[in-house]
Amino acid sequence: MTREPLDSGSPERELLPTATPARTRAAVLELLRPHRGLAVGGFAVMVGATAIGLLTQPLLGHIVDLVASRSAVDSLTVPVVLLVIVAVVQGGATGLGLSLIARLGETALARLRERFVGRALRLPLEQVEKAGSGDLTARVTADVSQVAEAMRTALPELARSVLVIVLTMVALAVVDWRFLLAALLAVPIQAYTARWYVRNAVPLYARQRVAGGAQQQQLLESIGGAATVRAFRMEDEHVTRVTERSRRAVDLTMRGVWLVLRFYSRLHVAEYLGLAAVLVAGFLMVRGGLTSIGTATAAALYFHGLFGPVNTALVLIDDAQSAAASLARLVGVIDQPEPAPRTAEVTASPEEAVAVAGLAHAYEPGRPVLHGIDLSIGQGERVALVGASGAGKTTLARLIAGVHVPAEGSVRLGAGERVAMITQDVHVFAGSLADDLRLARPDATDEDVRDALSRVDALTWAETLPEGLDTIVGEGGHRLTATQVQQVALARLILTGAPIAVLDEATAEAGSAGARVLEKAIDQAIEGRTALIVAHRLSQAVTTDRVVVMDDGRIVQTGHHTDLHTADGPYATLWKTWTGHRPTDSPTACDTDPAEAHGPADPLLLPRSAGSPEPSDPSAVSESPDRRDN
Amino acid sequence: MGGGRDVLWRTVRGQRRDVLVGSLLGACHQAGEVAVPVLIGVVIDEAVGPGDLTALLTWLAVLAAVYVALSMSFRYGARAGERAAEQAGHELRLQIVRRVLDPRGGAEHGRLPGALATIATEDAKRVGAVNMAAMMGIGALAGVLVGAVVLLRISLPLGLLVLLGTPLLLFAGHLLSKPLERRSEAEQERAAHASGVAADLVSGLRVLKGIGAEVPAVDRYRRTSRESLAATLRAARAEAWQYGMVLALTGGFIAIVALIGGRLALQGDITLGQLVSAVGLALFLLGPLEVFSWVNAELAQGRASATRIADVLNAPTAIVAGTGSDGLFEADTPPHPDPRSVRADRSSHPNGGPPEADAAPGPHGDGRSAMAGVGSDRAHLGSFPRPVRGELRLRSVRCDGLALDLHVSPGEVLGVVATDPAYATVLVRCLGRHVDPEAGVIELDGVPFTDVDPAELRTRILVAEHDADLFEGTLRGNVAASEPMLDRVLVAAGVDEVARGLPLGVDTPLIERGRSLSGGQRQRVALARALAADRQVLVLHDPTTAVDTVTEARIADGLREIRQGRTTIVVTTSPALLAVTDRVVLLNDGRVADAAPHAELVRRNTVYRAAVLS
Repeated sequence: MTREPLDSGSPERELLPTATPARTRAAVLELLRPHRGLAVGGFAVMVGATAIGLLTQPLLGHIVDLVASRSAVDSLTVPVVLLVIVAVVQGGATGLGLSLIARLGETALARLRERFVGRALRLPLEQVEKAGSGDLTARVTADVSQVAEAMRTALPELARSVLVIVLTMVALAVVDWRFLLAALLAVPIQAYTARWYVRNAVPLYARQRVAGGAQQQQLLESIGGAATVRAFRMEDEHVTRVTERSRRAVDLTMRGVWLVLRFYSRLHVAEYLGLAAVLVAGFLMVRGGLTSIGTATAAALYFHGLFGPVNTALVLIDDAQSAAASLARLVGVIDQPEPAPRTAEVTASPEEAVAVAGLAHAYEPGRPVLHGIDLSIGQGERVALVGASGAGKTTLARLIAGVHVPAEGSVRLGAGERVAMITQDVHVFAGSLADDLRLARPDATDEDVRDALSRVDALTWAETLPEGLDTIVGEGGHRLTATQVQQVALARLILTGAPIAVLDEATAEAGSAGARVLEKAIDQAIEGRTALIVAHRLSQAVTTDRVVVMDDGRIVQTGHHTDLHTADGPYATLWKTWTGHRPTDSPTACDTDPAEAHGPADPLLLPRSAGSPEPSDPSAVSESPDRRDN
Repeated sequence: MGGGRDVLWRTVRGQRRDVLVGSLLGACHQAGEVAVPVLIGVVIDEAVGPGDLTALLTWLAVLAAVYVALSMSFRYGARAGERAAEQAGHELRLQIVRRVLDPRGGAEHGRLPGALATIATEDAKRVGAVNMAAMMGIGALAGVLVGAVVLLRISLPLGLLVLLGTPLLLFAGHLLSKPLERRSEAEQERAAHASGVAADLVSGLRVLKGIGAEVPAVDRYRRTSRESLAATLRAARAEAWQYGMVLALTGGFIAIVALIGGRLALQGDITLGQLVSAVGLALFLLGPLEVFSWVNAELAQGRASATRIADVLNAPTAIVAGTGSDGLFEADTPPHPDPRSVRADRSSHPNGGPPEADAAPGPHGDGRSAMAGVGSDRAHLGSFPRPVRGELRLRSVRCDGLALDLHVSPGEVLGVVATDPAYATVLVRCLGRHVDPEAGVIELDGVPFTDVDPAELRTRILVAEHDADLFEGTLRGNVAASEPMLDRVLVAAGVDEVARGLPLGVDTPLIERGRSLSGGQRQRVALARALAADRQVLVLHDPTTAVDTVTEARIADGLREIRQGRTTIVVTTSPALLAVTDRVVLLNDGRVADAAPHAELVRRNTVYRAAVLS
């Protein structure tokens, strides 16, 4: 129920498309078409079952007539036996009809959700991100379950009620058209009440959902952040926030309750008027000799029997409406065109794994984040991409990985090359650890899986999990640490067998100590692969073949760490700041680095002056939208 | 013992007025519903049969009056019941939140935030709904009693037939559906699994795309969906046949009532109208009787939910609040760092269970007073000399393998480097009083932590954890700095740059707990908030792991400057941050291995160099 509060942040959200009502109807018919026989059969059986059930009232009326005419006691046998037969047949037919309809509905529903998920997972990431991560999640959870719920409970009940209402009307007409006329007196009130209800209920329930979502969000926030709340002494503030959200949800619920209760009051008026009219009609017709007491009784019973179905049908109208809205959102995604496959253009030389030429990109028009990038990465080469935040590293990495389509220029891969990318966005898929890893290669043997884990130093802990590799991890399962999660991601990368690996700050979330474990794991994971590593920990850059320094969407320096960190230039500045901005630290900083020594360090006991090395260009470190992607 | 029952009882008692009103009106409504079929019979008998217009008009007027009464009593009764349910749920929700946020902690132990949030919403709602169920149950009982009286007055044998037959009928239906129900429940669960898998795959969409695993993921989902379809179909079929069976049984029962009633009428024992009433009542009584089984189910669910809520409310605290106090601020529940000992202790409570009023320590008792009482009269507790100097001393502290003696001078900027990150976490947790050390004392300005109310302590010392959460609100609201302080804090933490990249600058709302920002941006905002709190002692744990090098260096300088004269401890392995500290303590294997300025350690200590620079 987190659908609503998500779009409050960015005014420029482009939600995923919603289908038109006509298209939604067509999509539903398309889903049902293969099951035409089932649909017709199910409906016919339900009509039959309802019709048979409606024989009960005339049979009871007949018994009343028999009593009124003082017939023999034995004469009751026939109508009573008929009543029993009606009951049994009606029960059997209803059971059959309902199970046929459930089969129809559930099968169609399963196909709908499979097509939706199939389509949703292949949407371009850019489109999903523009819509906000919540949009797709809300559709796959709230909308799918709304449709399912309607299909399972609301629709059969609505169909049954409507059938009973329609057939009862027919039966009343068959008994005597004048009874039908009397009964119809209730209809204008009911119709008006239903319209009034839907008009008020739909917006109210939408607000209720928003309030419910906001309450849930607040609870998750206050409870999930309890440690922070306590540390900052924000307990009172958060209790107040929860109180407000909860109060609001309760108030709206009470308004909904009051609306429903007023709705029922109006229906009571309709009930009374209809019942009185049928009784008056019966009175007049019996007095005029137009009908028997038994028939009048049957008519009154018919009408009394309508109370339930009418109320049900009217209450379910808005369920059906919101299910239709959800369905439109699902069909909207299903109807999205297939994304164009990655261009098949390959690099000129087989030695070249990636060739980037004249690449430029902007997430929003007028705010370019990359300008004229040319970069060639050789087979098996390891390249580190460094620079301040907002320099365009992530964007370049994503363009090379094929996540985005470049606005200008081209990215070509070597023949038969594939790219796998790991970012700081991590996810452990719910299920067993082995299943999670097999997403990368479904036919991986146990040996392959263990091998991949062991290459990233994860086999040891994986085997000590409660049930080893079969331990359920992810949502609701065993919790892995940030470092372990990233190790799993690296093991997946190994299993994909993709010759090119792109790693975008894959160590960022693990904390400083975890980062070191991960750096080793990364080293082992990318062995034998072409690798592009976006790094903010420069120790990762030291071991690569080539360092590419980016600033403000351009490549400003390339070369090997050994050459760059001593040469004057942006990399040397980065390196100094990374090692604690004492030029004197670097000699001993890194054993792999036989650089010259300077004098001893300044005493570090004094407060620092502001004169330490700063990036020369302030715009170099400004944030650009590519850093806001999660 | 009886924690759940206690919660339930307080829930009903807390709303007793609404529950009482609801029950009375509910009973009126049910009586009215009984009267309708009876009146139909009377109209047939008195008006339609003899053709008496006056009688017709009279009885129609009576019917109208009955309708007004039943409609109004339903309207106001149901409102009272729902209000009682919602209000009780609301109050329970707040009790749970207060308990979770209690400065002494402990409620989150062994529970995921999502699970706690579910307890605060779903379980609170379920327990609240017991009020509505109680009201409905009482109403239905009234309906059955009125129906019974009417039926028995019409005819003893017919009345007995209906009164004994309807429960029997329901019981038979129940019996028939029992095995089906159990199966369908299990299968519904399997069905729900499919939607969980889909949501999970969508939230891992970036990861899937990164490794090109969309197709295997779709295949996996299709398999789950198919399995779930098969399960759902079995459940749906079972339900359909169960419904058909109940329908057949009800019809058969009506036939029997008609047979016996018809015979009685033919024998002249009852009138024609009474026959009609009896058939109508037989149909009607199924309603309130079904309510009973619904109430039963609601109560069972309510009990289970109440137990879960009681477990949270009675959860032992993680730390003691001021043991040096004389009872002004006594802990209602003793602390139990070991969750296994919880149950044993609760059952061995001196009175066999705490008295009702303070059975749930979190809510109105300590939870609230702990928050409200800060800053008021704390004379009974250990308190700090004013002004606070910010001198921190750890004396022989033992905690989870950590063994530490440490002195931090007032105003010192101290770096702490742990070769094993687990010890860094333990130290941070001790300083933030998530736990108290197993042995030894931590003192702030000479006052032991355990002598002080944790809430009071946290006004002096702030421990900003690595994974601190941001909250909903604008960036400015999250940082929560006073106006003159704001700019300095933003610059020091590098948030000025973050704000420049956002559409509305510092007034941009942060959504999804700051998930709209990148990891590095979130960290900087969290750091700015920690600096803005301006506590005498600030402990930062890995504050810049996701921040780029250039910014990190800037932050290090800003931090040094803005914390001028106030004690600051930075637990990190970042060389840029360590370079601005006065002194660094190296923890190896949970013990102090060395202590010196950063540059010196880099020069002479290889362990340190490995920990910080490799």
